Amino acid sequence: MVGAAFLALFGIQPPTDTQNAAHSEAVTDILDADNNSAGYAHADGPRTFTFPADHGPHPRFKHEWWYFTGNVDDSAGHRFGYQLTFFRIALSPRPRPGRSAWGTNQLYMAHFALTDVAGDAFHAFQRFQRGALGLAGAEARPFHVWADDWSVAAVTPGATFPVHLHAARDGFEVDLVLQRGKPVVLQGDRGLSRKSSAPGNASYYYSLTRMPTRGVVRLKDHTFHVQGASWMDREWSTSALARDQTGWDWFALQLSDDTELMYYRLRNNMGGIDPHSSGTLVFPDGRSRHLSGSELKITVLNWWKSPHSGARYPETWRVEVPGQDLSLHITPLLTDQELNLAVTYWEGAVKIAGSSHGSPVTGSGYVEMTGYTDRGR
Amino acid sequence: MTALTRRASRRYVSRHRGQIALSLLGVALGVAVVIAVDLANESARHAFLLSRQIITGNATHQIVGGPSGVPEGLYRTLRVNLGIHTSAPAVEGQVETTPDHHVLQLSGIDPFGAGGVHNYLAGTARQLPLGRLVSTPYTGLVSDQTAARLGIAAGDVVTVRAGAQQHTLTIIGLIHPADAPARQALDGVLVTDIATAQEVLHLTGRLSRIDLSVPQDAAGERELKDIRAALPPGTEVIRAASHTQALEDMTRSFQSNLTALSLLALIVGMFLIYNTMTFSVVQRRHFIGLLRALGVTRREVFTLVMGEALVIGGIGTMAGVLMGIALGHGLVHLVTRTINDLYFTVTVATLALSPPSLVKGLAIGIAGTLTAACVPALEATRAPPRAVLSRSALESGTRRALPVLTGAGGAVFAAGLGILTLDRHSLVVSYAGVLLVIVGFAMATPLATVALAGALRPILKRLGGMLGGMAARGVTTSLSRTGVATAALTIAIAATISVGIMIGSFRDTLANWLDTYLRADIFVTTAGGDHTPIDPDLVRRLITTPGIDTYSRGRHFHIDSSSGVTELLALDLPPVSLPAFHFKAGDPDRVWPAFENRDAVIVSESYAYHHRLGVGDEITLRSDVGPRRFSVAGIFYHYGSDQGVVFISRHTYEKYWHDTGITSLGLYAKPGVDLTALSERLRRRAGADHPLSIRTNRTVRELSLRIFDRTFAITSVLRILTIIVAFIGILSALMALQLERAREFAVLRAVGLTPRGLWGMVVTQTALMGLISGLLALPLGLVLATILIFDINRLSFGWTLEWHLHPAVLIQALAFSIIAALCAGLFPAFKMARTPPAAGLREE
Repeated sequence: MVGAAFLALFGIQPPTDTQNAAHSEAVTDILDADNNSAGYAHADGPRTFTFPADHGPHPRFKHEWWYFTGNVDDSAGHRFGYQLTFFRIALSPRPRPGRSAWGTNQLYMAHFALTDVAGDAFHAFQRFQRGALGLAGAEARPFHVWADDWSVAAVTPGATFPVHLHAARDGFEVDLVLQRGKPVVLQGDRGLSRKSSAPGNASYYYSLTRMPTRGVVRLKDHTFHVQGASWMDREWSTSALARDQTGWDWFALQLSDDTELMYYRLRNNMGGIDPHSSGTLVFPDGRSRHLSGSELKITVLNWWKSPHSGARYPETWRVEVPGQDLSLHITPLLTDQELNLAVTYWEGAVKIAGSSHGSPVTGSGYVEMTGYTDRGR
Repeated sequence: MTALTRRASRRYVSRHRGQIALSLLGVALGVAVVIAVDLANESARHAFLLSRQIITGNATHQIVGGPSGVPEGLYRTLRVNLGIHTSAPAVEGQVETTPDHHVLQLSGIDPFGAGGVHNYLAGTARQLPLGRLVSTPYTGLVSDQTAARLGIAAGDVVTVRAGAQQHTLTIIGLIHPADAPARQALDGVLVTDIATAQEVLHLTGRLSRIDLSVPQDAAGERELKDIRAALPPGTEVIRAASHTQALEDMTRSFQSNLTALSLLALIVGMFLIYNTMTFSVVQRRHFIGLLRALGVTRREVFTLVMGEALVIGGIGTMAGVLMGIALGHGLVHLVTRTINDLYFTVTVATLALSPPSLVKGLAIGIAGTLTAACVPALEATRAPPRAVLSRSALESGTRRALPVLTGAGGAVFAAGLGILTLDRHSLVVSYAGVLLVIVGFAMATPLATVALAGALRPILKRLGGMLGGMAARGVTTSLSRTGVATAALTIAIAATISVGIMIGSFRDTLANWLDTYLRADIFVTTAGGDHTPIDPDLVRRLITTPGIDTYSRGRHFHIDSSSGVTELLALDLPPVSLPAFHFKAGDPDRVWPAFENRDAVIVSESYAYHHRLGVGDEITLRSDVGPRRFSVAGIFYHYGSDQGVVFISRHTYEKYWHDTGITSLGLYAKPGVDLTALSERLRRRAGADHPLSIRTNRTVRELSLRIFDRTFAITSVLRILTIIVAFIGILSALMALQLERAREFAVLRAVGLTPRGLWGMVVTQTALMGLISGLLALPLGLVLATILIFDINRLSFGWTLEWHLHPAVLIQALAFSIIAALCAGLFPAFKMARTPPAAGLREE
């Protein structure tokens, strides 16, 4: 997943109702605050990752997130995709002084989306909460990240994994336990993910690419006992994208041969692909291989126009890695998985069919597309 | 035939322009007063509801707590454990800017997490620096309008006082409200992050309340049940609307009394219409008789007169609406000032032209006119065809009807009084009683006028010879005209007298009460009237100031509950302060031990009245350890608040409320200590920028009375307006009368009466009418004053007032009555005197 300017790249839609007005404006305000990054820490070189400390927050960086996506189904074949994301946003470089327990410079935004394939329905919700008073926050030990009652927390205090993931709203609920699965994969250059040629325009980025998942999904009065695989992305940064970058497409693909492919491509305003696009291939034994942008070939097969935002998104794709003899056809589980929240983007569960080294492979995963709305830069 | 009657009407109107103009003015003024008061009331109400709406947003319920609010941890429980995402925290209080003393409502909100409950910034222009508002301490937002009033721009700082401290806040942005309602609601509001609000208002750890938006269905009920189960003791879920309603109810009595007073002006205006229409009918009796002979039906005659009244009423009312809007602009400030002084802060930036108020005013004006015209119109239909009734026949007819009219009046009057003696809680019934008393009295006025004129005739004859006698007789001989004018003036003057006596009695009662109630020598309270406790160190510094003998400490607070707002004061009372309390019920020897040691409370008279409590009854108050029952040990006189207050001993308070805050101090000086010097010393010890008001006993007393006077400023304005309407009535009646008697006067002139003599006679006659009105107004005024003091006041506010009569009120009223009548007579007299006799004698 793309780092530095993830938030800055989201197209900001006009609020659809008054209750979102303040939020949207607040987000605009925070993100557009002349991109002043003075006083914040920057991802300006490779670092040594330490766990479990790095599962916790890095409040001196402007942005950070804990990104959970996954594909699960039950024994009767009911298939679901879910997304639960916690964004941390520093409102100022330094903590707010003062006596009030409400005082903070840390804001959390959380998105919860559920794709109900059988019901042909997509549900998305958001939360804003300050990182104070225990209302929202992140902790490394025991692992806990939450905003109100949406949370991901260590099942036992002594170990980071497995984690218990829970979110519910309006009768839609996910209540899952995620094992660690494969070890941590450091993305980019030893975890430093460069987004442009400018120094410091990068993020720290690691992933858990295949987390065995089991639990329940509730849709109003129906409970489904499900299992499947999740993906966790962790990223923190301060910098924004370069001026000419308009958005990105991100792929988190879990294949039936026990390999995973992560790839992001940055699009520029000339309609081209930025050379800083890159990805990682993770092998069954947990080893991984960095992929530069030139090693992949991505073709949009057809497009879909959102009736909500009017944005035109790619719908199906062909992804090829000729050097690995890999060719994949990617189709969304539902066409409409656009989140119309304070920020508007498409993020959804996909299914995969193709071949690897001449043998057929299938798989599932998540794709994210940003910067397609009119107001996206 | 209708064309004929219509032409006749037009001709009549064109020949009596002055007369008609005065009628129009009278109606217009009456309607204007009603509309102005209604608009002012509505504007205040509108502004209040609007600001409540912005403050509570989409909240359906609120979680409220004790004096220091709700523990903030409860909010975490709601959000994190219960997942109640449509909840919003609020920290509120008043601050005062320094050095300019603008009082602002400080509203601490959560700009991001409020879950759509609050509306503060909805619909406002974009690009508010909300991130900075949260992350930077002591930052705030105000509306552009508020900024203009404070004389500041974005980026400027304001210094505010709250509780015992002073804080400097940076205004980091201006809210540009998208529409007028939002603009009005945000006027005078300083929006900050909840953390800043807690720090400025000394409420760290606490919330003023938590707002909830709960759906009105089974799921919502379940949610409320979960919430109630999680509430710590001392907190309660109440419906947001019930709280707003409770606040609104506080001002209801005040506002309905203003409305009643304004209706009085309209009633006087109706007398004027009645007078004009009667006059027009009487003048045209001959013509109407002819019309009837020509075949015009009774119904057509009725329509003719009512049509004329409708035109006058319609035009007058419409003019009244316009005048009312203009007048309303002035009155709204008086109304809101009183509400701010007595009840709560409300800012009314503009007069809201509420269409219902205007429609109501129009309807009342026209209906009033038609009602008043009904009697003369019916009278007109009774004119037999071709009858040429002489004026003298009419007048003797009127006089013959006098006993019947007076008898009926007496019955109406008695019925009014009868209604007032009923035991009831309804103000409307009281107003009905008052109306009957007034109308009954007015019906008896003509007979009383005849009697008084008869009694005064010998005196006038002695003083003014034959002309004096004629003047006196003139009043009686033209009773059909003068009777109504006299009645109108009588009512207006009586209203003045009664309101004057009521205000005087009230003021005396208050002054006497202040004399006994204000026992301490020096009073210390937080500035701005806020209930933020004074810093404990500062309290210690103040009470150890040399020269202080003893002290009492008070904690003022409110408890919001579903049944309304209760004002409480927790006090520790040194023995020296006990004589401050005079009990209406309860024996002091038994009250005090119960108050100090047995969890009993004492309640003010108004509180007991509104809640129908007696000694020995129990009240339930929500304490920090849950709802507690307290027995009422005594009911004491207290004029500080019309909603009433509950006093509780500090000892009991600390037992049930976890709070040691102090919001006021009463300091008793050692004998011989100079109070001014002591105040100075206290101020020095408090520090240079102390946000406390330190006032001597005398200053508090003066201040209280000044607020009292300010409160009644609007009443005085309404009184004067009523008298102006009556004045126009007298003027119009006299003009009509004198113009009609032109021929009579011409004869007098022809037989040798000088213009000067004629002038003297006319003026004497009008002065006599003024005198009669004034004299008649005295008993009616006294009766009305008694009703106001013992009935309307008690029903509205629950106060016992002592009846105090300042003779000056009566003398002024009498003098005013005569002067008003004299002024009204000057122009007609001048005109009569100048008319050459030949012109007057010429047949039409």
